[in-house]
Amino acid sequence: MHSAMTISGLSKTYKDFVLDSVSFTVPSGSIVGLIGENGAGKSTTINAALGLIQKEAGHVSILGNEELNGDTKEQIGVVFDGSNYPEILSPKKINRVMKNIYHSWDEQIYFRLLKQFSLPFDKQIKKFSKGMKMKLAISVAFSHNSKLLILDEATSGLDPIIRDDILDMLLDFVQDEEHSILVSSHITSDLEKIADYIVFIHGGKVVFSKPKDELVEQYGIIKCGAAQFDALDKSDIIVYRKMDYEWQILISNREEMQKKYPKAMIIPTTIDEIMLLYVKGEN
Amino acid sequence: MKGILLKDLYIAKSNILVTVVSLVVLGFGLSFLLEISALLVLAPVASTTAVFISITSDAGSKWNKNVITMPISKSQIIGEKFIFYILLAVLGMITALVPCIILAFFGVNITLHSLCLYGSIGISATLLAGGISLPCAYLFDPEKSQIVFMMSFMASTGIIVGLVLITNLFISVKNNILLTFHIVFVISIIWFFISYRIATKVYQKRDIT
Repeated sequence: MHSAMTISGLSKTYKDFVLDSVSFTVPSGSIVGLIGENGAGKSTTINAALGLIQKEAGHVSILGNEELNGDTKEQIGVVFDGSNYPEILSPKKINRVMKNIYHSWDEQIYFRLLKQFSLPFDKQIKKFSKGMKMKLAISVAFSHNSKLLILDEATSGLDPIIRDDILDMLLDFVQDEEHSILVSSHITSDLEKIADYIVFIHGGKVVFSKPKDELVEQYGIIKCGAAQFDALDKSDIIVYRKMDYEWQILISNREEMQKKYPKAMIIPTTIDEIMLLYVKGEN
Repeated sequence: MKGILLKDLYIAKSNILVTVVSLVVLGFGLSFLLEISALLVLAPVASTTAVFISITSDAGSKWNKNVITMPISKSQIIGEKFIFYILLAVLGMITALVPCIILAFFGVNITLHSLCLYGSIGISATLLAGGISLPCAYLFDPEKSQIVFMMSFMASTGIIVGLVLITNLFISVKNNILLTFHIVFVISIIWFFISYRIATKVYQKRDIT
């Protein structure tokens, strides 16, 4: 399987934060969800991969190129949180600007998307709502034949209906196996709907990078008391969290654990719960 | 680069129009009080303010972050601002020439010597000021860079005075005033080019967030 994006050993040091040797891959034709709490390093990873910030170490390969030149950038669509277009411009003026920036700019696709999203052509962006601004940014990203879409918290702050529309568009986009998406979000329910792989970053480090189905179908949480917790084989525990009245233990193979501990209450888990246990739990 | 230049023209359009109209009106108004060609000193300086409106807009809308992900290099991004600055200075110059030509047509005495002299001073002051303020716009935050922008015009006046005094050590400025300001003009072009190279280097290493 080809990879649309490969990040290996990416590092960056700030006064109060370290991005520590981050590595993961975005396989072609897939959606990779980058999750983590605020300040975990998701945006730093994306910014370093896109050359917005200088990386101290590591390699980034995008669509087979280590150097992020104009030809490579032509094939990448990026959407940040917020529109990031001059507020005085209208979608029509953005079309004229982009036509002179991207060689592969397709104004037919652009205007079709604007119509689909019910965005006015001549209204200044400053009069747009947050949802409209995001739809505009997504329209731009989809209008220059991008092969790789990178969305950094692009759906945060949007209502569920708009988010659902955008998620549908992303799923349509990866129907073409040459297309891939890296989407960072702390709304894990969105990623549960669309992602093929989940990369979890915590404290500037990649905690895991796994297929989503493995996490949802195989991971589980044992809920038990102190005596039952003491009886568990500690090598089966990924992380655990002591609550007021129970212990919550994250395990990686539900069925196997149910056979091993027939009396234990093992429940399926969500990505949200996995993230929470990793962040707040102990190991 | 054409795309980002177009974007800046859209942003600065209303400001450019106001500046152009003001310069024409000011030109006719001043003609009763002082030599009309002196407007050539003010015009390029006044017209370049639109560059800083575009820089402030870029920072406010986080366009700087967005444009890095587009097929445009960092040196092209900086180069465009310097080109935009020169274009506006030239536009200001042409605008100031309009009342000069019209009034000369109606018999007002305007000499080529005064046009060249004031034109040299105006462009030199503009290039020297831009050479200071443009790289600073990428070094400091928007508030600080606006202060630098205002101070840069005072600094450019001081630099011109300094250059004239230095030239006076070698040739008599009083007898060679046009030559002196042509020397200042050449130095300001070199300064502006060096400033572009410095701004490009600074921006290449800068983290954009």
